[in-house]
Amino acid sequence: MDKGRINESAPYAVEMRHITKVFPGIVANDDITLQLRRGEIHALLGENGAGKSTLMSVLFGLYQPEGGEIYKNGEKVTINDPNDANALGIGMVHQHFKLVDVFTVLDNIILGTEPSTLGFLRKKEARKKVMRLSKEYGLNVDPDALVEDITVGMQQRTEILKMLYRDNEILIFDEPTAVLTPQEITELMGIIRGLAAEGKSILFISHKLNEIMEIADRCTVLRKGKYVGTVNIAETSKEELSSMMVGRGVKFEVDKDDAKPGETVLSIEHLSVKSRIHKKLAVKDVSLTVRSGEIVCIAGIDGNGQSEFVGALSGLEKCESGSRIVLNGEDVTKKNIRYKNTHGVSHIPEDRHKHGLILDYTLEQNMVLQRYFEPRFQHGGFIKFDEVRKYAEGLIDKYDVRSGQGPLTPARGMSGGNQQKAIIARELDRDHDLLIAVQPTRGLDVGAIEFIHEQIVASRDAGRAVLLVSLELEEVMNLSDRILVMYEGEIVGEFDPKKTTVQELGLYMAGAKRQHGGEGGDAE
Amino acid sequence: MKEEKKGFLAKEGVRSVIASLICILGGLIVGFIVLVVLAVFNENISFAEAFKGIVTVLGGPFSAGSFHDAMFQLGNMLFQSTPLIMTGLSVALAFKTGLFNIGAPGQYLMGAMGSLIVALSIPTSVVPPVIVWILALLTGILLGVLWGAIPGFFKAKFNVNEVIVCIMTNWIAANVVSWVFKVTGDNFINYAETKVNFIRKTATNGVATWSFGLNDLFGGSYLDISIFIATVIAIVLYVVMNKTTFGYELRACGFNKNASKYAGMNEKRNIILSMAIAGGLAACGAALWCLNGSQDFKWETYLTLPADGFNGIPAALLASNNPIGVIFASIFLKYLGAGGSNLAAHTSFNEYVSPLIIAVIIYFAGASKLIKDLLARAAHKKKTAAAALADPTSRDPGGGPKEEPASGTANPPDEDSAKDDLIAEDENAEGGEES
Repeated sequence: MDKGRINESAPYAVEMRHITKVFPGIVANDDITLQLRRGEIHALLGENGAGKSTLMSVLFGLYQPEGGEIYKNGEKVTINDPNDANALGIGMVHQHFKLVDVFTVLDNIILGTEPSTLGFLRKKEARKKVMRLSKEYGLNVDPDALVEDITVGMQQRTEILKMLYRDNEILIFDEPTAVLTPQEITELMGIIRGLAAEGKSILFISHKLNEIMEIADRCTVLRKGKYVGTVNIAETSKEELSSMMVGRGVKFEVDKDDAKPGETVLSIEHLSVKSRIHKKLAVKDVSLTVRSGEIVCIAGIDGNGQSEFVGALSGLEKCESGSRIVLNGEDVTKKNIRYKNTHGVSHIPEDRHKHGLILDYTLEQNMVLQRYFEPRFQHGGFIKFDEVRKYAEGLIDKYDVRSGQGPLTPARGMSGGNQQKAIIARELDRDHDLLIAVQPTRGLDVGAIEFIHEQIVASRDAGRAVLLVSLELEEVMNLSDRILVMYEGEIVGEFDPKKTTVQELGLYMAGAKRQHGGEGGDAE
Repeated sequence: MKEEKKGFLAKEGVRSVIASLICILGGLIVGFIVLVVLAVFNENISFAEAFKGIVTVLGGPFSAGSFHDAMFQLGNMLFQSTPLIMTGLSVALAFKTGLFNIGAPGQYLMGAMGSLIVALSIPTSVVPPVIVWILALLTGILLGVLWGAIPGFFKAKFNVNEVIVCIMTNWIAANVVSWVFKVTGDNFINYAETKVNFIRKTATNGVATWSFGLNDLFGGSYLDISIFIATVIAIVLYVVMNKTTFGYELRACGFNKNASKYAGMNEKRNIILSMAIAGGLAACGAALWCLNGSQDFKWETYLTLPADGFNGIPAALLASNNPIGVIFASIFLKYLGAGGSNLAAHTSFNEYVSPLIIAVIIYFAGASKLIKDLLARAAHKKKTAAAALADPTSRDPGGGPKEEPASGTANPPDEDSAKDDLIAEDENAEGGEES
């Protein structure tokens, strides 16, 4: 890496000294210091809820700290709102993009700083600048495409162009890789390096250690709202970073014994499901079984029918005629979601905001989302609030779900990792024979991932059948007892994780190889 | 003192009430400005008249002049609040479940038609009036339920926006009602009095809501027990929405349809149910109004929709969709209406200032979320500043997120906010009485 670009003698591009930010019930930032050099890629590492986002919101003017100062190029500044931040050259790409879907890329880039004469837009000028920046930094976008039509990767490049268009010097990336495919991640890394080479200072928020090791120059670690330390990446290791972040050593491998598969719990025969988007078959004639005491994983690249497959299984999607889903020997193909929920299916959904939680409900209300009608929680139609509270408190304790106001915290106000923990607590605690876990660790930090993996293995060891759907090959290899690869809605291969490699799986996932019949595929 | 203030604004219910009061204040200020402007530009109206005007509006029925008139107006205000409370509840319930019931006018008309036909058709010489009254009320409600279920059905089954279907059902109802009464005309239309286009008063058949002397107590007004019925229904609705599994489900579906479906709730059934209940509530308001016994219902409705149907929307907005709040919001809106009438009667202004004030209040109510957020911000700033300065223990290193469940009490559950609603709105009403 070209270390020459970093100017170590000049004042810090941005220095945050002793920042303290208090929320009701939580000290989100407790005396945190962060020093960003010019031209540096500085990673900010921490678990979910460690205070990374809060610190960045302080820098971006969204929150006012109770204590501490911010210096830019050695001068003290106050940042009251994002406009101030912008004026100081601080730009941010949020984890969830702030784009107007029905506007074009160009309109989104200039939004808020449109050049105009007497109220008429001077778009030509803007377009020239955008195209120049796009070329200069290799940020390939189509300025006339609507945001809703372009890929997530291009949306992110639009966000980056937005910052560059405003001549920002300090660029904050909040978990930029969480939504990207591996190819897009590689591309983004190249872009970020290019930006740093041009003298931009970059704050890279992440909890993915591999990425930080790959790209960052230095890394500041936060834990539970406190400053742990700043290290040079060249002088540290993944293990050291993770123990700084979590406060203890973290296992990257999952400890588990060999599976002792028992009876068949779930058997799927000739399942076909139509896509909601293009109305063609997204899942084609899939048959598989899952036995008690084993973790079967469906691997594949996103968009190969996994969502529709799980949807049909849980009852959220309709399956085509001829499909058969048998649970514990009973045909449940036509049964509704409630029936499946109460007859042994627990489901950790892919999208925790869309399906997993009612964000406007409190944590305790969410904890009983599928059980509120049980005699334990209601009497004659009236909810037993005491029972709900007790139950929620029990789960919060057992699964270490952290939040500002305990069971009364609105789900919306919780960090992503704790929202996921809440869902996992709810689903694992329900009496179940089959656990369907879709991307259970998406967007979570290593500590939470370790915890969730342990819970899934514990569920298996307790004799449950586990069907795991994951896009992360590392997770697939680590956790599963049997791997099925799904490609374009079909199962194209079955593997024993001990006898296969990531490379081999990758070939099947990309459709280059297949095991069973199929035209043009190489039989193994 | 400072401590108190901080805790005061920290409660969401309190913020809701304060936001509503700010909306009302904003409306009054704008109303006053209009009066002043009128006074400035009209040499016949003095500046003092503008003050008298705003005081008259603020005084509501109490600006009537004499004690007797004030009581009379007060009684009618309470009586007229009944249908508004019901349509307000109808709209509020739909809002709570994520639906916009702009179909209350149509549901109201169907309720009026159903209750009038039954009340006037069954001879009270055969069936006791009590039974007829109950049957009439139930028929009205039933028609409203059906009318409300239509947009719910289209929303659930075909994902048609409920607003469009509601507007269509409004005008269908207006025409159906006109047609039915035109066809059956002679049985129901009032030919005895010299008025035209009105249905007979139900009292002509001996069917009238009991007033237990309330009408005489309030200067011979129309007041009857329907206001209490509406109040009881509001309380029941509050309990159902907040304390029962049914309400839990309805609200869940309103907040997040997908998650409700995932959790095994029948979200389509809940949409239909919620619209059907909303329809029943609006229709019940109409039935209670018609069954008073002394009301003239204008049957040629195909050109107009009942205002109380639409006014349920501002009532619900002003009450932040809290059923208990709807009672006070509705009474308050009618209170200003009475003030408007007195404005025309006792000053040089006409009565249109009071609808103007109401309109401005509604604009503000539309922005009540913004006002609440600003209040929350103010409360938060104060609190965090105080905490950071005065309470070093809050920065205790051990005070991690997990260890402080006690702070959960800072955020009150809904029932508290309702109580606050009650108290604050009450104070407001009393304030009006004093002036």
